[in-house]
Amino acid sequence: MAAMAAWRAVRAVPCVPIVPAVTRPLHTTPARLKTRAARVRGGRGDKAVTYEMAHPPHYIAHRKGWLSLHTGNLDGEAGAAERAVEDAFLRRFLAGTFPGVLADAAVLKRRANLVVVCAVLARVLPPAKLYFLVGYTETLLSHFYKCPVRLELQTVPNKVIYKYL
Amino acid sequence: PPRTERMAVDQDWTSVYPTAAAFKPASVPLPIRMGYPVKRGVPPSKEGNLELIKIPNFLHLTPPAIKKHCAALKDFCTEWPSALDSDEKCEQHFPIETETTDYVSAGTSIRNPKARVVTLRVKLSKLNLDEHAKKKLIKLVGERYCKDTDILTITTDRCPLRRQNYDYGIHLLTVLYHESWKTEMWESEKSEEDMEEYIWENSRSQKNALDTLLRIKASENVSNVTEEELLASDLVNDYRNSVIALKNEGETENNMSRYKESVKKLLNVKA
Repeated sequence: MAAMAAWRAVRAVPCVPIVPAVTRPLHTTPARLKTRAARVRGGRGDKAVTYEMAHPPHYIAHRKGWLSLHTGNLDGEAGAAERAVEDAFLRRFLAGTFPGVLADAAVLKRRANLVVVCAVLARVLPPAKLYFLVGYTETLLSHFYKCPVRLELQTVPNKVIYKYL
Repeated sequence: PPRTERMAVDQDWTSVYPTAAAFKPASVPLPIRMGYPVKRGVPPSKEGNLELIKIPNFLHLTPPAIKKHCAALKDFCTEWPSALDSDEKCEQHFPIETETTDYVSAGTSIRNPKARVVTLRVKLSKLNLDEHAKKKLIKLVGERYCKDTDILTITTDRCPLRRQNYDYGIHLLTVLYHESWKTEMWESEKSEEDMEEYIWENSRSQKNALDTLLRIKASENVSNVTEEELLASDLVNDYRNSVIALKNEGETENNMSRYKESVKKLLNVKA
């Protein structure tokens, strides 16, 4: 009886919908850790960092420049994704061919078809070995990407320390 | 020791930086500092400075270098034809202007889909059109005609190649020209709303003016003046010109005062 009365009461109120059990899905994205990207943590005062590493990413265009320059990111231009993939591959390749020699991140510049890789190296290897590695990377990458790849190097006695964090 | 210590002041800079290259601190004798300074410090020096390498530099484009480039390129240039020394002559010999854009970008591919757009520009006064053909062409073409400069602009990009688009544009121009010269049967049904400019003959204004004048003459008991005489008279001509000016050019001070004068003379009202 009470149930019947309740049901009639609910029917009498026109704006109360009888909602069955609805599942409410939650939209999630993979974890991104935006507050930890490209930042050097800690700070006992003995960690030496270069200018690149010392500035977190929100200083790009204010205190830092761009490490890779190409037209793919301009308005109305295509090819940004391809250039990004090429950049990632080139950086890993350099990290592998010059282990312990790279003093700082490599700067990639693209001029029409040509890719210019500007790297700063520490004076660890004798020049003969360095020349061999340079020739090896240039020919291999040119054949791989079918475009001329040029390596422009600068050697420093040791890493250029910006500050100690 | 870096090369900068052995550089003379009046050396040939074009041989140090012949082409576009990254910044080499050992080759540039300037004491440049770049970067945000540490607290109570100075911006970092140029040795190993990534910021200086990142930015594009123009050390290979000093004025002497550009002069050398121009001198080298001069051998490949031909002179502008001396017969085409004014804009009018260029227009007279080459009435159709074609505009195409080439795109350069950094990357392994030179193809750019935006490069297939072709724009053709023609002045209608250069084409051989009579009154009816010109009006029909303007109606066919619609927005692509600019009245102030008398230029017809056709932009084509529906074909995948630039040459095809250029051919299509020329084809469109030819078709428009020939079609505007033909007169179809249904064009005789052109009504007053379709007219581009105001024509006084056979319009309401003419009928009203003649009507009024006839009634005035009738009330003054003057012998029957025929319509043709009235139409040829100065008063009616004045009125006709002022009405045409008003309708075609809009309401300006001049036009309004002319209309006022002509109406006053027509109705014989001395202000």
